[in-house]
Amino acid sequence: MSQIRRLVLDVLKPHEPTNVEVASAIGDLQDVDGVNLSLYEVDQQTENVKITVEGTNVNYSLVLQTIENLGGVVHSVDEIIAGKKIVEEDETLHDRG
Amino acid sequence: MSFNIEEGRYVILGSIDGLLATLGIILGVSVVSASNSIVVSAGFGGAIALALTNGLGSYLAESTIEHGKLLKTEKSLLRKLDNTYVESQSKKRIVKDALTHGGASFLASLVPLAPWILGVGSAFVSVVLSLITLVVLGVYSGYISRQNYIMSVAKMVGLGTLIIITVELLRIVHLVS
Repeated sequence: MSQIRRLVLDVLKPHEPTNVEVASAIGDLQDVDGVNLSLYEVDQQTENVKITVEGTNVNYSLVLQTIENLGGVVHSVDEIIAGKKIVEEDETLHDRG
Repeated sequence: MSFNIEEGRYVILGSIDGLLATLGIILGVSVVSASNSIVVSAGFGGAIALALTNGLGSYLAESTIEHGKLLKTEKSLLRKLDNTYVESQSKKRIVKDALTHGGASFLASLVPLAPWILGVGSAFVSVVLSLITLVVLGVYSGYISRQNYIMSVAKMVGLGTLIIITVELLRIVHLVS
């Protein structure tokens, strides 16, 4: 199994803990170099966030466990980059049209 | 332990409760007996009972509210929040609020009791100390609510004076009869 370099997750979470606390908790995980947490929807009880995690060897299970322990639910894994180098999504002919 | 506005509510609630209820007990008992030990026993009994009822009352009320909030969040998330950070924080809040309410009540009860514990044995000193504490509480209340300090102190002392007058009137009625 190759190493996961980047994970993009769509997460539904309660207002507490705050987004700062969630980002900080994920950032504290081993082999995580950086975290980006963007808020894109706020509801009465919950908020939808997009969490991007980058690192040399991101442990998906640990990230998932941390999010669940903080009361969040991973709705979908929107992007995964694994392997020796980071490969960005390439534009196809269909995208250009 | 960090302190926020939410706990400020319990500090004020508990302190007013402990301060004025114990002062009422002291003023009432001191009519019947001027003995220090009797006033201290009655006041102390009242202080402990108040601290326990306030603490337990807060615990039960906050448990209900926090449980309701947790259920609402669980419904929105479509998942249980057992053994999560959210649940542990909720439990911590319940205990913190109960301890703050009960603790503030007990500590404030000691203010009117202090002259009797120290052997001064004067209802007048108890009243003066209680009014000074109400001034401090008024300043604290003004600080939390970001309102006019003078208004806040006036409300607090006014309320205290009203209760003291009521208790004193009952005392006079008792003395006359």
